Amino acid sequence: MKNWSLSSRRSALLVFGLLWAVATPAWGQELDSTSVDAAAAEIASQLRCPVCRNQSVLESSAELAREMHRLIREKLAAGESPEAITEYFVAKYGEWILLKPEPSGINLLVYLLPLAVVVLAGAVLQGRIRSWVRTGTASRKETFTMVREASQATDSVLTAENEQPGSPTGVPARLSAENERWLEEALRE
Amino acid sequence: MRRHLGWILPLLTLPVLGLLGYGLTRDTFTLPSPLVGNEAPPFALETFRGDTLSLTDLRGRVVVINFWASWCGPCRVEHPGLRNIERLYDSEEVVLLGIPYLDRRADSERFMTAFGGDWMQLVDPSNRTAIDYGVYGPPETFFIDQNGTVVRKRIGAMRWDAARATIDSLLAESPVAESRDQDADLSAAAVDDS
Repeated sequence: MKNWSLSSRRSALLVFGLLWAVATPAWGQELDSTSVDAAAAEIASQLRCPVCRNQSVLESSAELAREMHRLIREKLAAGESPEAITEYFVAKYGEWILLKPEPSGINLLVYLLPLAVVVLAGAVLQGRIRSWVRTGTASRKETFTMVREASQATDSVLTAENEQPGSPTGVPARLSAENERWLEEALRE
Repeated sequence: MRRHLGWILPLLTLPVLGLLGYGLTRDTFTLPSPLVGNEAPPFALETFRGDTLSLTDLRGRVVVINFWASWCGPCRVEHPGLRNIERLYDSEEVVLLGIPYLDRRADSERFMTAFGGDWMQLVDPSNRTAIDYGVYGPPETFFIDQNGTVVRKRIGAMRWDAARATIDSLLAESPVAESRDQDADLSAAAVDDS
């Protein structure tokens, strides 16, 4: 039984070894094919479909786009690098074929212009905010001055009334000290 | 802010107007192609008649390659112009080739039978030659000089007079241009009359 077990273990190892030897190349091929597909998809996603509107070769179902995708896969399988394949399409169609243009030359405008617009808009907004704050402060000061004048007028009337004989007591003759301080501070601002 | 509008508005408007003016003065039928000025992508394709034609075998002749399709309206519009090229120029000097694009062969053949013309039609399997020439959509026409260099790419229905001007300028560079020009003028008059 022990001998049988040993031989069966050896057989099992042999079978496993054989299977491994057979399966490994197939697995390797599967991996290669998968990586070629992934690389092809990556390249195709960066190329514009020539017969579509703003669709990549990967997204498009147009016959030409599908053919371009097949060509990319074939070129990758033949050992061409992704850069060389992209350059091939640029050499045929121009930089237009790239969904994301290279940041050089006139293309820099595409990258820098939005930044410039944001900076310009920020500067304009800052200017406007300053102007609004200035206007707001001015109108606040005006309001406080009016309140103060009104309170002074009331103050003088109340004082005159208080000074008359038989006038009611307990009526505040002036703004409270706290209100006075608040008004002073507001005016200083 | 309002006081700055006086110079900010023109500053923003002028470049836009400049671009607009530039765009309006361009020939919209001539498309900038990276191939122009470079060697034409070589090919060896089967003709509708069954033999194989290689572009390199046509060196020394002006080659006009027309990508077209039977389903394409502008291709019908420009077809008489292509027939003029076929009739007017000697095939030893100017070779006109048609490459159907995204089209069924039977439909292409029916089109040629219906509208006439006997220039060579090539089978482009999987449209690989079209991709090699950076074709977007038919019709697109490439003019290749005697040295095998792409000199012009035209898109849309090609105007006969523009095509003729391009071909004549290429032929003018060849040594036998003068005698041929006289014949061409006579033939052109005959074609225009017909």
